[in-house]
Amino acid sequence: MLIMNNIARIYRNETIQTHALRDFSLEVKAGEFIAVTGPSGSGKSTFLNVAGLLDTFDSGEYQLDGVSVQGLSDNQLSKLRNEKIGFIFQNYNLIPDYSIFDNVDMPLRYRGFNRAERKRRVEKALEKVGLASRASYLPSQLSGGQQQRVAIARALAGEPKILLADEPTGNLDSLMARQVMELLHSLNQEGTTIIMVTHDPDQAREVSRNIQIIDGEISDFRIYAPLQENQLNDKESHISDKEAVDA
Amino acid sequence: MLNYNLKLALISFKRAPSLYFLVILTLSIGVGLLCANLALVSSMASDPIPEKSEKLFHISMNTWPNDQPNEEPFHILRYRDAMKITESDIPKHSAVFYESGVYARDAESTNLKRFDSKVRATTPGFFALTNAPIAYGSAFSKSSGMEVVIGHELNNKIFAGENSVGKVLELDGELLMIVGVLKPWHLRPLFYHATEGRAFNLTDDIFVPLETAIDLGWSIHARSSSTVSYKGVKFTRDRNVFYLQAWAELENQNKVTAFQQYLDNYSQSLKDAGEHPLDIRNELSNVNDWLLENDIVDQKVLAFTLASVLFLCVCIFNASSLLLSRFHAAKFEVGLRRAIGASNRDMLLQGMTESILLGLFAGIASLLLAWLFLKLSSEFLPDLANLAVLEPKLLLVGILLSLFTAISSALYPLYRANRYTISAELK
Repeated sequence: MLIMNNIARIYRNETIQTHALRDFSLEVKAGEFIAVTGPSGSGKSTFLNVAGLLDTFDSGEYQLDGVSVQGLSDNQLSKLRNEKIGFIFQNYNLIPDYSIFDNVDMPLRYRGFNRAERKRRVEKALEKVGLASRASYLPSQLSGGQQQRVAIARALAGEPKILLADEPTGNLDSLMARQVMELLHSLNQEGTTIIMVTHDPDQAREVSRNIQIIDGEISDFRIYAPLQENQLNDKESHISDKEAVDA
Repeated sequence: MLNYNLKLALISFKRAPSLYFLVILTLSIGVGLLCANLALVSSMASDPIPEKSEKLFHISMNTWPNDQPNEEPFHILRYRDAMKITESDIPKHSAVFYESGVYARDAESTNLKRFDSKVRATTPGFFALTNAPIAYGSAFSKSSGMEVVIGHELNNKIFAGENSVGKVLELDGELLMIVGVLKPWHLRPLFYHATEGRAFNLTDDIFVPLETAIDLGWSIHARSSSTVSYKGVKFTRDRNVFYLQAWAELENQNKVTAFQQYLDNYSQSLKDAGEHPLDIRNELSNVNDWLLENDIVDQKVLAFTLASVLFLCVCIFNASSLLLSRFHAAKFEVGLRRAIGASNRDMLLQGMTESILLGLFAGIASLLLAWLFLKLSSEFLPDLANLAVLEPKLLLVGILLSLFTAISSALYPLYRANRYTISAELK
């Protein structure tokens, strides 16, 4: 699903260079649920941005669902983002003066679907997150947890191959965070590949794999739950010579 | 996608109405001012009779009878030179005329109010030559007779716009019958009398046969020049009094050449008879050349138009700066849209749609302002009254200019908005 080989991302200004990612290699199989952890400034968000084609990289190779992304035009990258990736942001990133329906509909607008198809997909996505009855509400009329579920519905509406979640429960209280995590787990059980950046070690333990990033490199990874055979080949999933440790 | 982009543009306007109002106001003041100036320039520079302007020729002659002539052939002719023109059968139509003025009233009315009226004393060919539009009756057919054709405005004033053919006007104490009434007739410029700063006067109120006006002694209300003293227009027929303007309609180049030869032969015959010592130099100028020769486009208006172009540039920079702040505020949404699959092209199209809509709103506002500027100009500068007209083509120019300025204003903000990486836009 996602293969990164020796990716480097360097931010430069007049005085210093910051290696946000260095020699970063990772392979993610279809159906995996991966938690990415690490201290602030370690490169988690950079990894997620590069993985989600929101940022470029300086060297290395990156394949997303069999497509090598190097050298793709802005149009091709946009199409890839639209069709294969769903984003979930920490602060939901809903447009406040759009209805829930219009927020979820947004990515579909750029896909060229007709009105009926968009409606079907939006309703299906909202149903999946349990908010079908709130389609006409504004985001401000919903709780934080519900808003994050709307954001998840927006990510799901395009039926992406992979969900990228940047601290999806970071702004939620524990009860709402629990509900969102349950939703993500159920989506994963239905076959959606998920990569989630989190600071919560409990959440990191709930998923199939936890990758820890420090100083732009993978410093550790742990497999917490066995994946089905067709989803993960242990040998292929090893991204470096670091040792896998069972929880 | 167009519908969606239009919807997004309207939402964007609703989010920051004050800012967009300022942008529209800024652009519309700039465009409105320029449109008002262009309206003046357009009126000054337009072809007043495009269907035949290439075929109508003003006649200037060099028949001054002594050795102190004008540097150029004279644009006014004496009676016998002018009559020589009307005698020729080379032109399809010819017209010889001078401007006068009388007080007019309905001879049968008990109302003694008289209207100060401009008179064109002319040969009958004037009407066909100028395509004067007849509403009722017909033009007079002879150069003499107590008949007149009156203009639409005077007919409105005296007869409330009704068909007044057959009615009698009292003109400076003389009774003349109306044989024709013109439709509203706007000539901008008034090509048949473009000299002496009258190019933007209204068309005349009364058209009277030339011989009748001379016989009645209706004075000359335009430039005249003479080498002898005379007591009035009645005594001009056989004297060196230059006051008649002459035009000829020549249908093709052969006729132009033939007519030029006709005039030159006539001048030569005068010279041979010792009536003038000058070189033979007669000039035929078609309508547009004649208007150019008379410099009827005011240089001050041209300078002000240039200034208003520069002012419009300032308005574009101001609008651009306002839009830059707006687009900066919308950076997050741009980032979000791109993150979920919109391409740079999609965002550019969305921005352009917003600009075009902005341009249309600014276009409507600018036309209203242009109309207001022209109205104020007419109010404070009455000389401009007949020029300050917003013609349909200017309406289109106003809308197109507004679209151009709105798009120009948005180009840099759009360029900036699309230069950030998506991750930076989402922060």
